[in-house]
Amino acid sequence: MLRFALAGNPNSGKTTLFNSLTGSTAHVGNWPGVTVDKKEGVYKKCAEPIAIVDLPGIYSLSPYTQEEVIARNYILDEKPDCVINIIDATNLERNLYLTTQILEIDVPVILALNMMDAVEKRGDKIDASELEKRLGIPVVKISALKSTGLDKLMERAYETCKKPRVGKTVIEDSALKHLIGDVKIALEGQGVLNPTFHAVKLAELDELEVLMHKDTVNMVEAFKKTHKDEIFGDDFEALVADARYKYITKYFSPALKRKNEEKFTVTPSDKADKILTHKIWGIPIFLVVLFAIFHLTFSENLFFLGGLLPEGWVSFEGTAFEGVFGVEGINSPGVMLMGVMEVITTALSEVVSGWLSTSPEWVSGLICDGVLGGIFAILGFLPQILVLFLFFSILEDSGYMARIAFILDRALRKFGLSGRAFLPMIMGFGCSVPAMINTRTLADEKEKLATVRVIPFFSCGAKLPILTAVAGAIVMHFGVGNVDVITYGMYIVGIITALVAVILMRETTLKGDTPPFIMELPAYHAPQFKNLIMLLWDKAKHFIQKAFTIILASTIVIWVISHFDFGWNYLTDDKMQESILGGLGRLIQPLFTPLGFGSQLKAVGWVFAVAAISGLIAKENVVSTLGTLAACLISGAIIDVEADGGVGAVAIMIRETGITLPALLAFIAFNMTTIPCFAAVAAAKGEMPNKSAFKWTILFWIVTSYIVSSAVYLIGTAWWTAFIYVAVAVLVGAMIKLYNKKRSNKEKN
Amino acid sequence: MQPIEIIVIIACVVIVAGVIVKSIIDKKKGKTSCGCDCSKCSGCSSCKVRTNKEDTNKL
Repeated sequence: MLRFALAGNPNSGKTTLFNSLTGSTAHVGNWPGVTVDKKEGVYKKCAEPIAIVDLPGIYSLSPYTQEEVIARNYILDEKPDCVINIIDATNLERNLYLTTQILEIDVPVILALNMMDAVEKRGDKIDASELEKRLGIPVVKISALKSTGLDKLMERAYETCKKPRVGKTVIEDSALKHLIGDVKIALEGQGVLNPTFHAVKLAELDELEVLMHKDTVNMVEAFKKTHKDEIFGDDFEALVADARYKYITKYFSPALKRKNEEKFTVTPSDKADKILTHKIWGIPIFLVVLFAIFHLTFSENLFFLGGLLPEGWVSFEGTAFEGVFGVEGINSPGVMLMGVMEVITTALSEVVSGWLSTSPEWVSGLICDGVLGGIFAILGFLPQILVLFLFFSILEDSGYMARIAFILDRALRKFGLSGRAFLPMIMGFGCSVPAMINTRTLADEKEKLATVRVIPFFSCGAKLPILTAVAGAIVMHFGVGNVDVITYGMYIVGIITALVAVILMRETTLKGDTPPFIMELPAYHAPQFKNLIMLLWDKAKHFIQKAFTIILASTIVIWVISHFDFGWNYLTDDKMQESILGGLGRLIQPLFTPLGFGSQLKAVGWVFAVAAISGLIAKENVVSTLGTLAACLISGAIIDVEADGGVGAVAIMIRETGITLPALLAFIAFNMTTIPCFAAVAAAKGEMPNKSAFKWTILFWIVTSYIVSSAVYLIGTAWWTAFIYVAVAVLVGAMIKLYNKKRSNKEKN
Repeated sequence: MQPIEIIVIIACVVIVAGVIVKSIIDKKKGKTSCGCDCSKCSGCSSCKVRTNKEDTNKL
């Protein structure tokens, strides 16, 4: 099968083009660096099927980051039949820099001028035929977003791939011209493939080329001794880059006719950035936006109307609408949808329990309490997860997420972290696994390690049910706070923990310079409806798949070991204490005593310890375990609370165990900061430089979760202990500063 | 033992064993067990540790 590779700058629309050509639904985002690895799909509209390979976005073929290495290796070693160089036509000159490097490789190339709709909207014009003549390769205008020009692009790419092409360089007017020519001849003599590309790279003294061509590098070294440029000295890499840009400006730029050649125009994006990336207001605006998202997702008092509207202005109490709109009809969209879900799950539970009314007790117990109790406790939160991710996707697609990295770079730089590291952290709100993989875009190994370690503190979608269920139960049982405020607060606790941990690591074990952060801020644009729907569909599908596989299996195991003793005798619900789970739970319970949900709890207090441990398999298990065990407690007639989803399950456990409010907050904090699920642990392992770093990472998660959740519990129980924590933090900070100062003085001496 | 009891026992064993076996097979194939669909993930093939190491080794 023919193979065409998509190569281009970050955020030039490669993945959008890939999705349009192959019918795939790969994740796209309006910020540079979404794709960190190659991805394959098949285009079937040509005379023969063509494999399309989406390469990560790169600015050059120099191996500075892993994405550049992946893209470079693929084009050089895998020898695709054609390279489709997709460029952002709104930024023609900068994008053509990579083109000049690809042109040096002996591979058929076609140029796709993407985002032509945006160019035309601006009133600018690009003469594609003129550009084609000057570049010597086919040039096609397209809009990947609007799927225009794609058939023509593929037709011409198909024709192009049939004609072999020899690499050419644009370094013609440079002082290095003769050196490159000589090196090329030498490499050809050695039978090296792509001699033009390697010759230019060797002239630049590219570190990989120096290693690969040790014999030929002497030619460059000898030339270097005799040649000194007036501006760049002996920095040949800068000299080559300058030569490329000069060539682009001289020969290719005339193909672009701007509407306002001289006038500097302030775009709407620039205007918005003046406010959203403001030096002082940028971070507060971000926090307000984040709170608004949580409010619209979790609040049962939308826009805080509860305190403003006259009492009893409307009442759904006792009506069929109460579950959806709330008593006063001021539920947020997320809570309304959750209400609809609960109506459905309750109806299904009633139907199934009706069917099983004549079956043996253990069968109805296993299916109704065990399986349905556990799964429905989790599924009830699906609508809120989808609403939350809808808002996050809007932020990402609009281009605001990239701004957040920019704003935070300013704030975090002094603590040894660049804004680039914040992008994988933000991805962690979705799932820790791809977020950890995305850390490959970080060139600095120490910064990468610190980032991987703190990603689990950014609460992922699987942890959301824990936060919402416990927060909901706190409001239901203790009658304090709002679900949205508690959930938002716990997210902020996670973010602060991550930042403090990074600062500590960068000041101690992972000391190093903060790498420079250069990121192209994408223009704001309206989110694509199709993208949003695809993302929500994916999220819902995977959540349901997980609920009916891992969670289902876990609920069965939890129910079985909570209804059999070590002698394998069946136990009824009211004898759960004597079960295998009860025994194991009581064994590990003391470990959680400093965190407030250990031995101090009465009766079945071990359920919190068991739930926290079950979360290591998948974080959804925490709520499903509580759901399963709570359903058993109800049917055992130990308490008389009617459960409603995960919130009801936690509320039952609060009544049954006597757990306090600070201990519940500590329970959330523990689950947010402890060892993540198995999949995330495996992903972290893959990103670690060695086994030792991985072991330290596991220890780091355990210790951090212990410190954070015990702090939450102790400060919540006795507020004055906050001063002790502050004093200890100040002392530790001062000691580290002092030690670092002494050490740097020693090094200087 | 009633037929429904036998069916439920078999179903439970199949579900639990199936999930465990599938996760082992996925791990051997180098697939992630995060629950996300690899075809949608921006870094799917990176999860395959072997592929990643091959890429790096090519340097």
